Amino acid sequence: MQWMVWTLPTALVFAGLAVLLAGMAIWGHLSPPVARRGFLRMETDRGDRLYIGLLTAAAVLALWIAVTDLSMWLALACAVLAALVVLIWG
Amino acid sequence: MSETVAGGAAVAGERVGPGGVAASPAPEEAAARPADPRPKNNRAWFLVLPVVVSVAFTAVIPLMTVVNFSVQDIFSPSDRIFVGLEWFRSVTRDPEVRSAFVRTLLFSAQVLLIEIPLGVALALAMPKRGLGVPAALVVMALPLLIPWNVVGTIWQIFARGDIGLGGWLINNVLGINFNYTLDRADAWITVLVMDVWHWTPLVALLAYAGLRSIPGPYFQAAQIDGASAWATFRHIQLPRLRGVLTIAILLRFMDSFMIFTEPFVVTGGGPGNATSFLSILLSKIAVGQFDLGPAGAFSLLYFLIVQIACYVFFTVLTRAGR
Repeated sequence: MQWMVWTLPTALVFAGLAVLLAGMAIWGHLSPPVARRGFLRMETDRGDRLYIGLLTAAAVLALWIAVTDLSMWLALACAVLAALVVLIWG
Repeated sequence: MSETVAGGAAVAGERVGPGGVAASPAPEEAAARPADPRPKNNRAWFLVLPVVVSVAFTAVIPLMTVVNFSVQDIFSPSDRIFVGLEWFRSVTRDPEVRSAFVRTLLFSAQVLLIEIPLGVALALAMPKRGLGVPAALVVMALPLLIPWNVVGTIWQIFARGDIGLGGWLINNVLGINFNYTLDRADAWITVLVMDVWHWTPLVALLAYAGLRSIPGPYFQAAQIDGASAWATFRHIQLPRLRGVLTIAILLRFMDSFMIFTEPFVVTGGGPGNATSFLSILLSKIAVGQFDLGPAGAFSLLYFLIVQIACYVFFTVLTRAGR
């Protein structure tokens, strides 16, 4: 594992993603996802919306770091908010 | 004519088929039959395991490593410093990266603006019956069968002013001073024309398939109404090509946005940085300079853009009919 040059923050991010995916799998097993239509104007279930939400969050973070020097914590808050909006109303 | 009608019937049948099969018997069956009490056997999932393992080793683990690279300044595996998001900041604000991004977008836009109309025009001009059909199909398919690096080599020689047929003709017959190794515009035009030569046939073949699936009666009705060739194209053929053209646009966008081999072989990104697209700049940073941190951050941002475009591509393709 030495060659993968792990750091604590990246390990935490990947652990978080793994927990998120496992959580979604268990949730999907307990109550199967139902597709519906939201402001994205296409049929999505919660897995689709999670994926779109994660992509949106990543795009927000990338644009933020490209254009402003404001705190990245603020960017993270905006990204999480954008992901939640997609997850709930998408 | 019979060919057209048969094709039309097949298309019509296809359209009725899945809808009918999926819509009518399913609810009745569901109502008549109680839920299956037997436990579901999911053991077939184990058959997917080899793919999961190989993808993990070839894609997921390397990607995780790239993420680790992107937040560190690495001198050796034991000598490295955590720098947080600094590389992302420097890469997104690097004028060279930004200009490569604009250049790549511009190249993709030009590719689409030329290849899509040209492909449709070629498809319209291709013979509709007789021996010409297989001949045209084979000729159109030839450039698609040539490997990328060979296409690059062909054009590298073809466009040369001294020994290349194309370059020699432009210089000596047309009298235009053309040298893609020295002139930025000439290099750009060479790469663009090469891409048009290589990939317009894909658009043409897709459009041809789309045109062939339009039922004959549409054209008969247009003829009876006295529609001009342009009106027939605008109101019958073009709307029916919507699906295949969506696929063509997205395929060509993705491919031209990630173009690497052909310009790398022909111009190597030069002269100066005239044809230095995102992929060429990335390989220069990652492999040439061995700057793993900035290259990692650059890769992830590039990956994000491609990922978003891919998702749009996938969504449009799979949900187009719904």
